[in-house]
Amino acid sequence: MLQMNQINKVFLTEMVETHALKDFSLQVLEGEFVTITGPSGCGKTTFLNIAGLLETFSNGQYLLDGEDVSRLSDFQRAKVRNEKIGFIFQSFNLMPDLNLFDNVDVPLRYRGVRAADRRTRIEKALDSVGLLSRKNHLPSQLSGGQQQRVAIARALVGEPRFLLADEPTGNLDSNTATGVMELLHEINAAGTTIVMVTHDPSLATQSHRNIHILDGQVKSDNINQVQAA
Amino acid sequence: MFLYYIRLSLLSYKRNPILSSLMVLAIAIGVGAYMVIFTLNYYMGGDPIPHKSSQLYHVQFDYGDPAIADFEPPPQLTYIDATALLRATAGHPRTASSKFVSVMEPPGDELRPFYVNGRGNSSDFFAMFDVPFQYGAGWDRRADDTQQQVIVLSDELNERLFGGADSVGQNVVLDGLNFTVSGVLGAWSPAPKFYDVNNNSFEPIEEAYIPWSLVVGQEMQRAGNTNCWKAFEGNSFQAFLNAECAWIQFWVELNTADEQAQYLDFINNYAAEQKQLGRMPMQIEKRLYDVNEWLAYNEVQPDETRILTALATMLLAVCLLNTVGLLLSKFLGKSSEIGVRMALGANRGSLFIQHVIEAGVIGAIGGILGLGVAALGLEGIKVLLDDLIVTDWMQLNLTVAFITVALAIVSTIVAGIYPIWRACNVNPASHLKTQ
Repeated sequence: MLQMNQINKVFLTEMVETHALKDFSLQVLEGEFVTITGPSGCGKTTFLNIAGLLETFSNGQYLLDGEDVSRLSDFQRAKVRNEKIGFIFQSFNLMPDLNLFDNVDVPLRYRGVRAADRRTRIEKALDSVGLLSRKNHLPSQLSGGQQQRVAIARALVGEPRFLLADEPTGNLDSNTATGVMELLHEINAAGTTIVMVTHDPSLATQSHRNIHILDGQVKSDNINQVQAA
Repeated sequence: MFLYYIRLSLLSYKRNPILSSLMVLAIAIGVGAYMVIFTLNYYMGGDPIPHKSSQLYHVQFDYGDPAIADFEPPPQLTYIDATALLRATAGHPRTASSKFVSVMEPPGDELRPFYVNGRGNSSDFFAMFDVPFQYGAGWDRRADDTQQQVIVLSDELNERLFGGADSVGQNVVLDGLNFTVSGVLGAWSPAPKFYDVNNNSFEPIEEAYIPWSLVVGQEMQRAGNTNCWKAFEGNSFQAFLNAECAWIQFWVELNTADEQAQYLDFINNYAAEQKQLGRMPMQIEKRLYDVNEWLAYNEVQPDETRILTALATMLLAVCLLNTVGLLLSKFLGKSSEIGVRMALGANRGSLFIQHVIEAGVIGAIGGILGLGVAALGLEGIKVLLDDLIVTDWMQLNLTVAFITVALAIVSTIVAGIYPIWRACNVNPASHLKTQ
């Protein structure tokens, strides 16, 4: 599903050259639920941005779904993001002016889906996170956990094969976080590959694999026994 | 997607109402002020009789004295030439005309006598220039030839004398002579007043019209320009008529290319004959001008409008520069949203279009408000100039309104190109973590 070979990412400023990822190699198989852990500044988010085609890299090779995405144009990268990748962010990143229906609608708009199909898919996605009845509400009228569920609905509405989550429970209390994790497990069980960055060691054990990053390199890659069983 | 982007633009306006309103205000002021000047130029430089302007011709001859330094051939004709042309070109609609000032003695005792600005003109004048009548009509050529005492009143003068009633057949006393009213004009305010551009080209039309032959026959007090380049003998009115003094406007209607060519030949031959007789010692390049050529030759559009245009353009530029800054602030403030949209599948091209439309919506709102600013500005100018020139034409019509809104939209989009380009080139990754 995702294969990175010898990826390097260097951030250059006038004074400093920072190696965010160094000879970074990783493979994620279809259907896996992988957690990424590591201390702050170790390169977790940089990895996630590169994996989501939001950031370019200095050298190396990145194969997504068997396709080399290293040299895609802006237009092609946007198309891949829209069709294959779903994003969930720590701070939800919902658009405050748009109601829930319109927030979930955004990826479908860029895909050019017809209005009737969009409505069906949006309502199905909102229903799957238990918020269909509130489709006309604005994000500010929801709790944090509900907002994250809307963000998940938005990520799923395009039926991506690959979900990238950047600390999706970081802004939630433990009860709400548990609910979100249960939802992610259901999504994974339905066949969507998930890569989730987290600081929380307890969440890292709930995935199939946990990859620990340190100084821009994979330091450990452990299969979680509980999940594997 | 277009309607979707329009909706997003309106939502964005609502999100930052103060910033957005500042932009709208800047655009409205800039475009509104520009359109006030544009409207002035549009009409002052416009064609006052578009359906006939290429068929109506003013005649000019090679008047002047080469010995007089910097003498410009005057644009009017002498009495000798005007009467000669009236006789020789009777086959075409043609008119000699000149202004006069005289005293009107109202019927009854309610009004005291007052001065009126009048015009002596040939009978063809009214049909040639499509002058509208609300009552009656002008007069015929026989009235010209016999110096018949008939008069056409302007709407305003008829209102003053007869309370706006149909006064055809009524008698009025002008210059001590009894006149019979043959017609009353309808609303007519050509701008510029193309048939006589010798004084103020934008002044109101004359209040009374009588046969030109009467102005001469009754030696009425002339008004307007008189240019003489040769001393004349004696002080009599006849001596003045025989003198080299130009004071008459002469127009002829020539409807086909053949007529125009034949008439030009006639005019050129006439000038050649006069030169052989020792007259017309100057040499001019052109003797026949259609309406628009005549307006351009006489530089009817005042220089002040060009200065005002430059000032209005500068004001518009300042307002647009201000808008660039405000748009930059607005669009860079949307970096997080742009980052999210990119993550969800938007490419930079579609984001660029989205924000171009957003700038266009701001421009459109600014343009609509600018229409109000322009209307207000024109009203202000009307108040200032109402006594000096005809101001009826100073209004926003559909064309001007369309141009105003289009100008606002296009100029706001142009002002938005750099801010939009900056906003769409943000690194999405750097804005997703921090929103």
